[in-house]
Amino acid sequence: MSMLSVRDLVVTYATRAGPVRAVDGVDLDIPAGSITGLVGESGCGKSTLGRALMGVLPEAGKIAGGQIVFEGADLVALSPTARRAIAWRRLSFIPQTAMNALDPVQRLRAQMLEVLVERGGLGKAEALARASELFHLVGLDPIRLSDYPHQFSGGMRQRASIALALALEPALVIADEPVTALDVIVQRQVLDVMRNLQARLGLAMILVTHDIAVVAYACDRVAVMYAGRIVEAGPVADVLENPLHPYTMGLTHAFPDLYGDDMTLVPIDGTPPSLLHPPAGCRFAARCPFVQPRCADEPPVMTGDHQAACWRVDEAAELRALAATPATWLPK
Amino acid sequence: MRSASAILRFFRSEPFAVIGGAIYGAIVLVAIFADGLAPYPPKAILRVGARVARYLPMSADHWLGTTSSGRDVLSQLIWGTRAALAVGLTAAVAVVAIGTVLGLLSGYLGGWVDKIITWFADIVLGLPFLPSMLVLASLTRPGTLVVILSVAGLLWPNTARVIRAQVLSLRERAWVEAARVTGCSTGRIMFVHVLPQVLPLAALYGSVAIGWAILAEASASFLGFGDPDTMSWGVMLQEAYANQALSRGAWNWFAPPGAALMAMVLAGFLISRGSEKLLFPKLAEQ
Amino acid sequence: MTALIDATGLEKIFRSRGRDVAAVADVSLSVGAGEALGIVGESGCGKTTTARMLLRLEDPTAGRIIFDGTDITTLRGAALLKFRAQAQLVFQNPFDALNPRFTIRRALAEPLNNFGVPVSEHAERIDAVLHRVRLTPPAAWLDRRPHELSGGQLQRVVLARALIPGPKLIVADEPVSMLDVSVRAGILNLLREARDALGLAAVYISHDLALIRYVCERTMVMYLGRVVEEGPTKELIAKPAHPYTRALVAAVPVPHVTQDRAQLPIRGSLSDAASVGGCAFRGRCPHAMKICTDQAPPLRSITPTRQVACHLEGAML
Repeated sequence: MSMLSVRDLVVTYATRAGPVRAVDGVDLDIPAGSITGLVGESGCGKSTLGRALMGVLPEAGKIAGGQIVFEGADLVALSPTARRAIAWRRLSFIPQTAMNALDPVQRLRAQMLEVLVERGGLGKAEALARASELFHLVGLDPIRLSDYPHQFSGGMRQRASIALALALEPALVIADEPVTALDVIVQRQVLDVMRNLQARLGLAMILVTHDIAVVAYACDRVAVMYAGRIVEAGPVADVLENPLHPYTMGLTHAFPDLYGDDMTLVPIDGTPPSLLHPPAGCRFAARCPFVQPRCADEPPVMTGDHQAACWRVDEAAELRALAATPATWLPK
Repeated sequence: MRSASAILRFFRSEPFAVIGGAIYGAIVLVAIFADGLAPYPPKAILRVGARVARYLPMSADHWLGTTSSGRDVLSQLIWGTRAALAVGLTAAVAVVAIGTVLGLLSGYLGGWVDKIITWFADIVLGLPFLPSMLVLASLTRPGTLVVILSVAGLLWPNTARVIRAQVLSLRERAWVEAARVTGCSTGRIMFVHVLPQVLPLAALYGSVAIGWAILAEASASFLGFGDPDTMSWGVMLQEAYANQALSRGAWNWFAPPGAALMAMVLAGFLISRGSEKLLFPKLAEQ
Repeated sequence: MTALIDATGLEKIFRSRGRDVAAVADVSLSVGAGEALGIVGESGCGKTTTARMLLRLEDPTAGRIIFDGTDITTLRGAALLKFRAQAQLVFQNPFDALNPRFTIRRALAEPLNNFGVPVSEHAERIDAVLHRVRLTPPAAWLDRRPHELSGGQLQRVVLARALIPGPKLIVADEPVSMLDVSVRAGILNLLREARDALGLAAVYISHDLALIRYVCERTMVMYLGRVVEEGPTKELIAKPAHPYTRALVAAVPVPHVTQDRAQLPIRGSLSDAASVGGCAFRGRCPHAMKICTDQAPPLRSITPTRQVACHLEGAML
């Protein structure tokens, strides 16, 4: 049962050259009580999608079409006031740099209280107890509530911003590259905090990231984005171990692994298309080693639980075997 | 080329700066075509019949009237733009050249060079502008050169400071370090890599200095330290003052050069105001 | 075989707010021609400062660097210029590593000019190096400026600029961390190829052990300015000896669904760094003993190819 359904969402950015379709016809379902990874390269629209869901698009961006149905209400049609009522309480946000979530001139306690009292309507004593509990949950000593954000390390700040996002027990948390700026050890610890809390509180989470390994470690489901569209989605195990889309297949051979045999990495030649004038058919066609004539004209459609936007989904097993050899990806 | 288009973009996004730029532009045009525009030679003593045409009011023949010695005020005003621009542009170029080079050295080299230049700049900034200029002028032969030198000598710290700040951030860029790794000498890094990046900013500061220089020249001339042979707005004001134009109510004599000066200074101010947004984007947002 | 670059006892002390902070303390390393050494560690561990000292972009406060038989620690002027031509850097951020006003041609010609390569050879060398980094046909790239290129293409230009003087040593500081996953492999492969074809010595700086494993046979792990472990990369990953290396290896995210998700064998955070004296890692170490407080463990050999700085003995390692 999905708690968030995105249908045919289009987000555009106004630029001097015209509107850029950063998110262009995205369908996405987020089941309750799971972590969904939204993964893709820079400029693929993953962060824009995350921000559109949260209603925090930058000034030049706007939702140009589609629906975001959250707990029965279409967020796109909601008034700003009604949206604000949902923010924090039902739907909250963890930004990439915790400093964007935290106020540098206020103690953490004051910031926690603001959310808990003003937004959550708790009494002061109750709120204080809850703030300590939340800090404890994210692995911070409640004593540090009286500190300012600059007294925290990067990892601690990210923990604090997680505590803030979870303060009112939202049903869905959207985290935008929450561990990207952190060192590996801290990154792993923050991911563990997020995973544990998600399981404990049974909330749903969207983890926007460029790092497939982070998805593999922390997520239950994954949606792979490419050039404004979702090209493959499904349970993490299926998508990573048996990718259906050539782009996903390519990615799994594109970066080194800590273990396993020596292999030659294979880059995906070329660059994504311009979203100012996206191609009519499959957006990966220009870089795809398995491209066929129809790919250029007709955008492929996705169906099923593990789904991919590719006309050759039925041949995926053979293509995977081909994709594993470097020669396949050599520029023609 | 890129910096030219950057300056163009800046003017387009800043209405204040556009007005300032327009004033400068108008004055440049007037100075270029002064010969054709001025109805009379500026120093010609005009006569009505046999009598010298003293203190004529504004009329169709003399739009701004005449002076006590029978010279056409409008013609003097028009010719005055040349002196204003000559002084203004030369001084501005000097200010920008000194300020940019010292700012560049100070910001890029750091250490004791930076300390000395900053210390020196602070002292100069602390000097009161007009008195210092007058002291300089009285110690030497009065003239345009002294005015230009004192404007350059007293106004460079403003430019140097801004250029220094810009260079401090530029030198942290990886491509500046890359220049070091690929064998560029310090001088080459400063003048080939860094300097072109700060030139637009320097040009902006130069445009502000023009107004200041013209005002300085006028002040010096008004107080008798200028070059009496040059037809400048300051000289016009000085003459008007010496002949009690104010008590005679000859507004048409002293108000036009005063207004022209104000317009020039205002133009510099408007451009600098617009440039604040460019220099301190965070400040402008608030 | 004598090493191409041999550094002993490198130390870098920065003065910050009136306090001396040792960014790097007693680091020794050597890299031979055709060999690649990886330096891994978290931000602030001193890996970048170490690399910058090797290139003489930062002057060590103590220690000595011998490059190709010459002591380069205090070189100046023409001698330093000669060294620069032989030791080049590949930058982390390709979007910032090229002068935005320079065309590719100018960016590549500049080092040739600076290092005194005759102008008659420029065109040929630029052409050859662009072929090497697969920006072909070269003529299509020469007159472009950085803003017209993608991240992957820019990094190829950065690599070309590093290769064009004909260096013997290449230092790459997080060469692909700013690039998209799909183009990283291209750059890493080019780096490997260039090293093999030209017999370069290479030093890679990264926080990513998986990447280091792909390009370096030997790896050095740094923690708070010191080397805590060194050895063949694969052995070090398979059987990390130092407790910090163990945590680091366990923390590296891997792209597989089945993986160890057990809690990391490390406590606290970098801000819990131990105060002066003793082992710098003891505050976070699950095996800390009394001796760790009293005495800093020296780097010692545990096999002919591996060294570790830890008081633990035998099976505990």
